Amino acid sequence: MQRHFQEVEHTADWAVRVRGRDLAELFAFAAQAMITLVTDSTQTEPFPVARRIELSAPDVETLLVDWLSELVYLHETGDVLFCVFEMEEVTSAHLRATVRGRPGIPMKKEIKAVTYHGLEVRRIRSGYEATIIFDV
Amino acid sequence: MTVHKQDFERIGPYVWQLPAGYRKDMRVPARLYADETLLRATLADRSLEQLVNTATMPGVVKYAMAMPDIHQGYGFPIGGVVATELPHGVISPGGVGYDINCGVRLLASALRREEVAPHLSDLANALYRNCPSGVGVRGSVQLQGNNLDKVLVEGSRWVLRKGWATREDLQHTEEGGRLAGADPAKLSDRARTRGRPQLGTLGAGNHFIEVDMVAEVFDQEAAAAFGLFEQQVVVQIHCGSRGLGHQVCSDYVRRFQKTVQKYGIDLPDRELVCAPWDSPEGQDYFAAMACAANYAFANRQVLVHHVRRSFEEALAGKGLPARALEIRQVYDITHNMAKVELHKVRGQRRKVCVHRKGATRAFGPGAEALPEDYRAVGQPVLVPGSMGTASYVLVGTEGAMDETFGSSCHGAGRTMSRKKAKKSVRGDSLRKELEAAGIRVRAGSTAGLAEESPAAYKDVSRVVEVVHQAGIARKVACLHPLAVIKG
Repeated sequence: MQRHFQEVEHTADWAVRVRGRDLAELFAFAAQAMITLVTDSTQTEPFPVARRIELSAPDVETLLVDWLSELVYLHETGDVLFCVFEMEEVTSAHLRATVRGRPGIPMKKEIKAVTYHGLEVRRIRSGYEATIIFDV
Repeated sequence: MTVHKQDFERIGPYVWQLPAGYRKDMRVPARLYADETLLRATLADRSLEQLVNTATMPGVVKYAMAMPDIHQGYGFPIGGVVATELPHGVISPGGVGYDINCGVRLLASALRREEVAPHLSDLANALYRNCPSGVGVRGSVQLQGNNLDKVLVEGSRWVLRKGWATREDLQHTEEGGRLAGADPAKLSDRARTRGRPQLGTLGAGNHFIEVDMVAEVFDQEAAAAFGLFEQQVVVQIHCGSRGLGHQVCSDYVRRFQKTVQKYGIDLPDRELVCAPWDSPEGQDYFAAMACAANYAFANRQVLVHHVRRSFEEALAGKGLPARALEIRQVYDITHNMAKVELHKVRGQRRKVCVHRKGATRAFGPGAEALPEDYRAVGQPVLVPGSMGTASYVLVGTEGAMDETFGSSCHGAGRTMSRKKAKKSVRGDSLRKELEAAGIRVRAGSTAGLAEESPAAYKDVSRVVEVVHQAGIARKVACLHPLAVIKG
């Protein structure tokens, strides 16, 4: 699978730079980056568990933190790892998506939280870019 | 922004200061405790920029500080200490961090190393079996009904009532294992959901249980007060408030994004969001943080119960004297917390909110907050080193009370990213090296071992030497590892 993110040096935690042609791609790739952190390998079908997610936030950075935090919460409390992210609508203040996954996928790492540190969703020539730092 | 060595004034042999004018938004100078080598290491990442950022917080007094184990975090640097003057100074969830009341607990057995040596593998196995560790793990205690709220308000007292702790355990815990001011109504449902199944779990990452021996005693008087002697087998537990604490911090960092606008607070980083201490938002966060702190105290206390069970399982009936199963708590310290304390500011004792982010309280002799049996010597300061290397027990000093709001270092401090560590160290090789050195390793994740390789950390002995020489803590004893248990 092609990687749409780049790991950035960070002394204590885990930082990734993600790019997408639009906000929907950026958000989906950010979630994929997080999944590669918590599991060892690329996950393949079947993904029998589906869940709808709908979020609103005052700005796009908060929406990005909310989106990833939602997944952290679902992973920890539901024992289901969501690996497929179907973004239906992503604006700077609103998100609708369906996520698909399955229980029992072993996680190698715990993400404590998604931070706001230095977080900025930037317009670049090819779309959008964000660097996200996870507390691990 | 890149900070250079020449930007610092050298205040003392181990104290470096960036003047308040270094950046125009600073309200106070920024101080770093380090020797030349540690200062050079610190210049390599963005931790000093983060330290400068903390000097901009409303109400900050004297100077923003970093201990010699400083390294890059998010918002505050790890190793950061910032005090804000009350009632109007701010409290910052990002300044405490996601793992609220992450801390270290030291337990002491009455056994010498040679008595435990033949049974060390059994002991390591029992600890790994009895102390749940790793990602997504559930504890032996499920907090149904109002039991969660009781833990949030009572902390270790709840564990005592369950019969899994002793009164002495609580006396030898910072705040007696219960931080006042907790209000469970200030927690989200999500925080509660994450907290219910996880009490008595270690978690993953850099959290661990380690069986050590006291390798050297530097200060006989303090060691005697703490009940430590050379060759003694002791146990360290390092963990925090688990998913509940992570959720509390996430909830309030998000909420405070708006709060800073309401109070007209301008900050260089959104992770530093904060609220005036005396505002409804500031009080709400403190009440929620205290809940998470109490959960963490109780979490480590339940793990103590599991450690005692493990000693029994591994050592009972093995011909050891009856004292073999007496496991006494030396002390429990927190290193991610905001606390209201009295400290000298502008020549007078004033109420301040001390944020310690990867820093340890290090109260000196005579402090009222200390248990009676330690009051004459000062507070035990527990400084775990990186995996497989030395750890230290220090004691708080008058110097810390005068200079650092009664604070000192909390560990070795990372120098290498996890990415680099995984590239340069193989987890299975590291496991073999540790085993070859006689250290039993019980770990769920080999990759996790590599990330926590000693090569990724500063030399803890150098870090400790700085705080010792600077007079903000004093060396009491050095511990060497015998067995490591990790998720």
